[in-house]
Amino acid sequence: MKFWNIAGGLIAATLIAGPALADKLDDIIASGKLRCAVVLDFPPMGSRDADNNPIGFDVDYCNDLAAALGVDAEIVETPFPDRIPALVSGRADVGVASTSDTLERARTVGFTIPYFAFTFNVLTKEGVGLETYESLADRTVGSVAGTYEAIRLEEDIDKWDKGGSFRSYQSQADVFLALSQGQIDATVVTSTVASSIAQSGKYEGLVMTGEAPYAVDYVGLIGLRQEYGLLNYLNLFVNQQVRTGRYQELYEKWIGGEAPKLTVDKVYY
Amino acid sequence: MFDYTFQWRQAIRALPQMLDGALVTMQIAVLSMAIGVTIAVFLAVARNSSSRWLRAPATAWVEVARNTPALFQIYMAHFGLGSFGIYLSPYIALLAGIAFNNAGYLCETFRGALRAIPATQIRAGRSLGMGPAKAFRLIVMPQMFRISFLPTMNQAVWAILMTSLGVTVGMNSDLTGVTQDLNARTFRTFEFFAMAAVIYYLIAKAVMLGARLIAWRMFRY
Repeated sequence: MKFWNIAGGLIAATLIAGPALADKLDDIIASGKLRCAVVLDFPPMGSRDADNNPIGFDVDYCNDLAAALGVDAEIVETPFPDRIPALVSGRADVGVASTSDTLERARTVGFTIPYFAFTFNVLTKEGVGLETYESLADRTVGSVAGTYEAIRLEEDIDKWDKGGSFRSYQSQADVFLALSQGQIDATVVTSTVASSIAQSGKYEGLVMTGEAPYAVDYVGLIGLRQEYGLLNYLNLFVNQQVRTGRYQELYEKWIGGEAPKLTVDKVYY
Repeated sequence: MFDYTFQWRQAIRALPQMLDGALVTMQIAVLSMAIGVTIAVFLAVARNSSSRWLRAPATAWVEVARNTPALFQIYMAHFGLGSFGIYLSPYIALLAGIAFNNAGYLCETFRGALRAIPATQIRAGRSLGMGPAKAFRLIVMPQMFRISFLPTMNQAVWAILMTSLGVTVGMNSDLTGVTQDLNARTFRTFEFFAMAAVIYYLIAKAVMLGARLIAWRMFRY
């Protein structure tokens, strides 16, 4: 009897002590569930279909990742500003949320190698007469707070100093609403969003005009900075998505055409 | 599970920016209170009047202002009016929304205070030869403000906290707007929001102190 008590105690102790050493990657595999933070008002990367189910490039990407890990995917909807709080508070394991890999953010959060790349276009209303990016200098413009394009646009408005002003909204939907009402004259959004919004006809009279001369915006998956096991896995996963042609396949499905290159010339990642 | 290392230095460096935001927040709060109190006095008088044409609009105002969320009121001032082609800037929309809300709540506060003042005082004033307006201004109103001082201060604090709703209509110069901007840029959410919370607390305390000083001067017999 005594032997079994001790043996049982030892087994219990190892079972309890075991998970304490497990990292995030182990936790995900053990829980059988991968929770992805995805932005769902950012078509075609993330949005909802007629039945309110999450769809989009990022949603498919998360499903692929879950399949690779052998677990079930769970989409956690997170507006742009809430991506990091969702990770840090443990509501999500990984952010598949078109996050620009700025050095400033990398001080806080861990980025993978780029899994997607954006270019930018001016989105405006018919008849406002804004053809080029430079013509925004004396207008009221707006964008989603803290996004890559918002930061560039606000900087340029300040630099031009021709009486233009910048407003930041909390979601992409609010920006489109403000634009369609005429509260702002134009916004700068990723070319993918611009074309999908201009074609959708959801907001009347929005047109996509000139390209914004920003550097290509590479976006990475995000995880907690110290979770190397997970980040290494994610890097390999991104690499495999490109290698196996899945990246191109998803690009054709959601955006169409040739997928942008994810490498930068003359330098290793 | 909370897996995070706090980095306060970065937040401290952004303090001047946040304090600029705090000034805008205070400005909106004070302006919205001034406008709110002024309108509320008229609303309270209108609600107590015997004329239905005065009572009805005042009642409608109070009903809407008190029974819908402040967020809705501010959102309506910006996007609601926007769909009719009336464009208020985020600053004005926020100010209008909060002033509207303040007026609604304060009206009821003042009405309660008015009830507490015996009607005989007005009659006493009238019998001394004062007109109704003068009697109200010199006799009733000072007492009304004194009786409703503490609930009014409640509303002042509430007004400060409501300014944080401005971010929903594109406000990026007030304390929450600045904080949200810094957060999106650096992803140091917890540090910046913790600092913002402390600053809000201090603003509220400062406004209370200021109001107390004013009251101390104004309400002496």
